[in-house]
Amino acid sequence: MFRVILYTQWKWTRLALLPGVIIAFSLPVLSVQRAGELGYAAWVLQSVGGWAVWFPALAAALGLLMAVTAWREDHRGGHVYALSLPIERWRYALFRFAAGAVLLAAPIVALWVGSLVATAAAPIPPTLRAYPNTLALRFGLAALVAYGVFFAISAGSARTAAFVLGGVAALIAFDVLLQAAGAELSVSREVWAWLTRTPGPMTVFTGRWMLIDV
Amino acid sequence: MTYAIETRGVCRRLGKRFEIRDLNLGIPGGSIYGFLGPNGAGKTTTIRLILAQLRAQEGEITVLGESIPASIHRVLLRVGFVPERPHLYPGLTVDETLDYHSAFYPTWDGGRAENLVRGFGLDRSLRVARLSKGETGQLMVVLALAQTPELLVLDEATEGLDPVVRREILEALVDYVSQQDATVFISSHLVHELERVCDWIGFMDDGLMVADMPIKDFKEGIKRLRVVGAPATLEDPPFVLLSREAGDGVTEAELWVVRGWEAPMKSYVEGVGATLREVIDLDLEEGFVELLRTARAPKQ
Repeated sequence: MFRVILYTQWKWTRLALLPGVIIAFSLPVLSVQRAGELGYAAWVLQSVGGWAVWFPALAAALGLLMAVTAWREDHRGGHVYALSLPIERWRYALFRFAAGAVLLAAPIVALWVGSLVATAAAPIPPTLRAYPNTLALRFGLAALVAYGVFFAISAGSARTAAFVLGGVAALIAFDVLLQAAGAELSVSREVWAWLTRTPGPMTVFTGRWMLIDV
Repeated sequence: MTYAIETRGVCRRLGKRFEIRDLNLGIPGGSIYGFLGPNGAGKTTTIRLILAQLRAQEGEITVLGESIPASIHRVLLRVGFVPERPHLYPGLTVDETLDYHSAFYPTWDGGRAENLVRGFGLDRSLRVARLSKGETGQLMVVLALAQTPELLVLDEATEGLDPVVRREILEALVDYVSQQDATVFISSHLVHELERVCDWIGFMDDGLMVADMPIKDFKEGIKRLRVVGAPATLEDPPFVLLSREAGDGVTEAELWVVRGWEAPMKSYVEGVGATLREVIDLDLEEGFVELLRTARAPKQ
């Protein structure tokens, strides 16, 4: 059963997954390409740091892509096919989730290999160290967190998605009203801080995403 | 009699304007049951309730002896379903669809699937999105039959298909039933189509079951009577009075639509002081129209 679910998900995502794999491999390579020219540790750090934002962004994008494609075909058919199959809903959702997670391994491995290649090829100043395994692990965790969140949202109906988006919009609108009233409190900032504060669920997306660091 | 599908007092409201009311349905095991009704009558809603795609707000549903929705996943292993609208994944080929579907059914009969695919002339390498409407319908029937189901549920499965494809699909169904002694529950508003294959029929209109009987009884026993001088209430009639309409002013004769009519019952009519002017035979389509007309007529 899992085999055929994995196959369908592979078929639906492969065209979008392939560029994701290429980008995941290229990002670490690109992030250190000028390290040899710059020489000084501070400049190398500044150059590598310029690319840091793209790692969590790619993880979030891949998570979103896998989550949306996991459910797209079932949404299109009103879930009639899935509901007519002799499988419990929770098990079906679990298999779909697991299939997406398995496919996410491809860009994660690509980023790891890219990181290993990049750090092997780039001259690293003696005061700095390369962290290919840590970066790949972090990227993998971030991709899975993003995938989990988006999977949960897209597994629901359009109404669920509307509730989530409506909640975010209401939060922003409330903040605008608070600011208009002269209040210093920002609810959305507080919520974001709570989500990203250690050990918040989104902490993995924050901090330094550096392939080469001190 | 054992029932493949049984519902008791099932109610389900959908929005403000439509509801299934007190649905009592008994689909005899081994029958080919035609579920007739106009568009919007509630046939698809009933099927969705039976297959637990909707939850009943009241009442009990039993399918193949198991309670729904509690045992739906066990039941679905034994049920082949062809929905009203194609529901398959459009990006998969015919071959991939067969492979995907078969993985869920331990009773999958690959040989039967192969024979049906060949018989229908389906191209296994074509994507579902590129199949014609008829081919998609045929593929859905292949999937349902290759599961080796004990119960087949078809929701307007031949709707919009050309007569040749319709006939092929119905022949495949009848062939399967003759081999497997399965029950078929087939909804449609194409009366003539069901007349050829069904042995039981039920009529639904506006969320209510209007009638339910063996097709033989329906054809033989449903009559339209013209009666003059009948009392306002009938005591213990030997037939089922489905509807009763007053004369239109031009004629004094009332119009009765009755079920279970036999010629000797004329004496009952005369016994209550009425005169039977005419007994009119109805074919299935006429009977269907008559039932709908009388079901929709304002109550006297």
